[in-house]
Amino acid sequence: MSGFFGTAQADQIATWVAALATIVVLGGLLGERRVFGWSQHLLAGLATGFLALLAITEVIVPRVVEPLVADPAGRPELWLGLLLVAAAAAVPWLPRVVAGLPLSITIGTLAAFALGGAVVGTLLPQLAATVAGREATLTDTVVGVAAAGVSGLVLIGFVHGTPRGRVVSLAAAGGRWLMLAGLGGWLGYLLFSRLVLLVDRVAFLVGDWLGLAR
Amino acid sequence: MSERSALATRLAPLLLVVALAAALLAGLDDRLMLESADDATARAVTAAFDAMPDDALVLVGFDPDVGTYAEIRPTVRAVLADLLNRGATLAVVSLTTDGRALAIAELARMDRAEANPRQLIDLGFLPGAEAALVALARGIDGASQDPIRADLPSAPDLAVVIGGIDLGPRSWVEQVQPRIDGMPIVAVAPTVLLPELEPYRASGQLAALIGTPRDGAAYRAHAELGRLERMVDPSAGPSPAAILLGLLVAIGVLGQAFGSRLAAVMRAARPRDVA
Repeated sequence: MSGFFGTAQADQIATWVAALATIVVLGGLLGERRVFGWSQHLLAGLATGFLALLAITEVIVPRVVEPLVADPAGRPELWLGLLLVAAAAAVPWLPRVVAGLPLSITIGTLAAFALGGAVVGTLLPQLAATVAGREATLTDTVVGVAAAGVSGLVLIGFVHGTPRGRVVSLAAAGGRWLMLAGLGGWLGYLLFSRLVLLVDRVAFLVGDWLGLAR
Repeated sequence: MSERSALATRLAPLLLVVALAAALLAGLDDRLMLESADDATARAVTAAFDAMPDDALVLVGFDPDVGTYAEIRPTVRAVLADLLNRGATLAVVSLTTDGRALAIAELARMDRAEANPRQLIDLGFLPGAEAALVALARGIDGASQDPIRADLPSAPDLAVVIGGIDLGPRSWVEQVQPRIDGMPIVAVAPTVLLPELEPYRASGQLAALIGTPRDGAAYRAHAELGRLERMVDPSAGPSPAAILLGLLVAIGVLGQAFGSRLAAVMRAARPRDVA
């Protein structure tokens, strides 16, 4: 189940290491904090090491260094990127206007892509499919209008500090409650996903490690 | 909290793990067959795969996260084996570090299962999340000179997105689909993403979506994997009996918490006797 093939010695060692790590993490549930803490450090260290390796071997060298070495004058955008990295690294010594530039560009770019994608890829196609679609039934239209209404109510729920009438206040409260209901439903799905993960780990211990349920 | 209830609270997780293990060993899974449920999803996935041309190129966005991958792992392996068995070439790309780590593991697994290496193209890791998806789409579409296009023999006929919490099918629908015409997207995602992905399946923006263990089991029961059957562990898939038991425990705990709260409210509302 865990993905280890065969019965070679390396597979068996990997299975034992994974089983011990799983037991240590499950031991955290019973209050064994010290060894559990070590396992957290191990995970953080491995993740950081992997991230560094990934950054060097799959990003910095092939996508920055090699193109710049091959054609230094032909990739101005990479030089600009390096300049922004340098500015980000030198934040303590730069004026605030310059120091904020890399972060502003990063946040602005991500927000622009996310917002544009949400409008072009989600909002408009979803409205078209439910409200204005050729095959949309009355039920689809009602559901689409209701969904748009709920979105509006949730948005109103976030508006603070502006004078409101009774109707807008009620709508905002309704939006907040609908959002809470949505979050509650989402937590139910999350519980299910986490439960499947726990079942998978127990199945790994019982099946792959102890060999009882295979 | 008394000493007895503190001990019970401490031992409760252990009892849950032991109960789950007992459910796994009880052999009840044959009677709780997930795959016997509605197979509409399995048919939709098969229809999307059937619509591909011979020797198709499939772009695989591999971005599950380690926290939920256990749920979709058997289905992902079946999907990859199914596509390889149909003669498709898989171009695997990841945009998250979790996804890249898991992609490396699955590519190694396919290599050890003697999948044809000419059917596998490792496009590696693309940093930048949404921006990277846009660059990927432009590179495939020929609108930019992104080196990723040079690694592909042709434009992809289908995208299969293995989703996780960080970056999933929603981002592909929002960033890639509007920029590449005529490339359907099939998604495999954990249950936690189902509420946000179901509207895309309903609107047709996703050609098919495997979003629950039940859908995954139904698909695995339908898929014809040929000689690549060995890539999929026959005993794989979460145990329905253990999941059912776990859900009953969760409902019991929630009910107990709600009941205690209700009882406390009732006690507070009762008029007190005046001494």
